[in-house]
Amino acid sequence: MFQRFVRDARHVALEATSVAAGLGSPSVEAEHLLVSLASTDHPAGAALREVGLEPQEVRDAIQRDFERVLGRVGIDASGVDLPANCRRTKPGWGTSAKQALERAVREAKRRGDRHIGCEHILLGLLRAEHGTVPRLLAAEGIDRDELTGRL
Amino acid sequence: MPLLPAELTHPDDPADGLAAVVALRRLADRMEDAQVERALRDGWTWAQVAEALGVTRQAVHKKHARRLRDVPAIRP
Repeated sequence: MFQRFVRDARHVALEATSVAAGLGSPSVEAEHLLVSLASTDHPAGAALREVGLEPQEVRDAIQRDFERVLGRVGIDASGVDLPANCRRTKPGWGTSAKQALERAVREAKRRGDRHIGCEHILLGLLRAEHGTVPRLLAAEGIDRDELTGRL
Repeated sequence: MPLLPAELTHPDDPADGLAAVVALRRLADRMEDAQVERALRDGWTWAQVAEALGVTRQAVHKKHARRLRDVPAIRP
């Protein structure tokens, strides 16, 4: 899967695994890739930070999304205190992250780029219609087209 | 009588309902991790934990034994 990924894009994918583990998630999901991207020196990371998505801000937004989603079905998950990382096994790739990476590959192909970089991962993440990432971007008032334009 | 009022289990927008399913699974998984660990630390056996969760001992052991290797109370 990662053969054509450039070094910093591989690093982003690897870091997403640590982010997922740190948040106690059994799988790496698209939102973990977003946190990882927001931490990178690559222009894709800078673009996220320019619109206010610092790594910690993305982590907070993930938690707010979780609480908001449960709130809509009448469950108050605010202050739900669960161990941050009680799993010691490495998280595997979840569907949403795999899909984002597949979309990154397609995005590179569409643009005629040989290699897959951080900018393609961000574009792959921005293509999702449903799930945590599009929902939290909407909630944070992020204009996806404007963000794409910064790349 | 339904367990929860209809407006809670049937939000207007399917996107809200489906997102809630995902969040509830995540919440349940996290809770399971924490509660299984707590029970074992309190001296519960795998068989007791399995019975309380309504699953087989093999199932609960397979899912949690590896990550809870260091809990002293654990007997295989």
